[in-house]
Amino acid sequence: MALGCDPPEAVLIPPKPPSRAPIWVFAVAVITIAAALHLQLKFGDLAQGLGDLVGYIQRYRDPAWQELPGDVPLIFQTLAMGVWGTFIAFAIAATLLLWSTRNLAPTGLTYQVARGALNFFRAMPDFLLALVFVAAVGLGPLPGVIALGLHSSGFLGKALAESLERLPKGTYEGVTASGATRFQVLMFAGWPSISREVVGFGLYTFDRNVRTAMLLGIVGAGGIGMRLKESIDLRDYSRSASIIVLIIITVLAIDTLSDGLRRRLR
Amino acid sequence: MAEFAKGLFTAPDWRYLPDLSARMLETVEIAVVATVLATLVSFPLGLLAAHNTTPWVPIGWLVKGFLALLRAVPEVLWALLFVAGVGLGVLPGVIAITVATIGFLGKFFAESFEVVPTGPIEGVAAHGASGLAQRTFGVLPLAMPDVLGQFLYGLDSSMRFATILGYVGAGGIGFDMMEARRLFKYDRLIMIIVAVAIVIALIDWLSDAIRRRLF
Repeated sequence: MALGCDPPEAVLIPPKPPSRAPIWVFAVAVITIAAALHLQLKFGDLAQGLGDLVGYIQRYRDPAWQELPGDVPLIFQTLAMGVWGTFIAFAIAATLLLWSTRNLAPTGLTYQVARGALNFFRAMPDFLLALVFVAAVGLGPLPGVIALGLHSSGFLGKALAESLERLPKGTYEGVTASGATRFQVLMFAGWPSISREVVGFGLYTFDRNVRTAMLLGIVGAGGIGMRLKESIDLRDYSRSASIIVLIIITVLAIDTLSDGLRRRLR
Repeated sequence: MAEFAKGLFTAPDWRYLPDLSARMLETVEIAVVATVLATLVSFPLGLLAAHNTTPWVPIGWLVKGFLALLRAVPEVLWALLFVAGVGLGVLPGVIAITVATIGFLGKFFAESFEVVPTGPIEGVAAHGASGLAQRTFGVLPLAMPDVLGQFLYGLDSSMRFATILGYVGAGGIGFDMMEARRLFKYDRLIMIIVAVAIVIALIDWLSDAIRRRLF
């Protein structure tokens, strides 16, 4: 079909409607600038502070390597906190799982309540929970474990419920047709199909929990964070430096490990 | 623990509401400014780090390593560092969140640029586009939906971090939290907990709504 033959109306394409993107960008820019002004942010202070900052960082240049062997047990305590926190998260998420999956929940109300609880746990920053539990049960790793468990159960529960909901209906119908109760449907149809994803989620949760556990010590919830806070408060910069290096190394190690494990799973 | 639970369920201190709202607004503003700043900086960094948009591959590795370092330092540590360097107040908090967010936003952006399909890029190149034009008209528009999603995630993460900043003196509701706990003002503490939960849930809902409109 030669181009010149078509009547003009047939090849007329309506003009592209103006893109709405500039409006959004403008809105975001206005909000940001308004917020910055309201906060009275003076970035000039940053320039001044930069010199102070460099001077401050220089105090950390001499890590106290000889103290490290004493801190390693605390790293293990922190790792243990991560493990227990993940364990508690699984316990809570598994308990609520039957009610937080849309197609397995007995009524719509139980679904909303279960999901609401999980969302609440997810919304609460782990630090806030840890603060509260330290006030409740005292210092040490226990409040940290509880806080970690509660907070990550929210994310874990939501992720598990969503992967259960994504399964094709046929999987469930097959098991239901043989007369299974809801719980049996979950165990024999749902769980085998998502078990791989669950391991991935578990690893991710563990990774996040260990990272957070490192810092929960700052509010008194045990682990290496407590020692870090101590040494910073005592202005013992070389000790703080060695602890920070230890933390960074451990975090990088765990990241690489879990990345490697997750890639193997796929 | 029983006494704590008993003490926690007291009537809230309603006179505290205006202060609480002001502080929560401050916290949200910190998160917003920091996320926008971090996005602005992460954009070029992501472009430099992604192996299909970087001008020279070793630069890509360097930038990725730099971003990994920014990520490896625990966020609270950044806050502590900047408070010690710049002083107390809101500014160190904003900088700390910005730096921590650049760490993962830069990585996410780079990954979004890297998974762009090569077909459309070849199409743009076939029109005689220079490298820069290929990136602007090929890679960027294709990566934009992912980038926006990651911006929303960054907003959420910054908000959570912002609630803790005050604990180390970097502004926001964290300071009130710490004070309320230390002075045993549990009536305030419940209000703070509820306020934080509400605001974070709101931001979650907002980013869900935006995501649904985009995808």
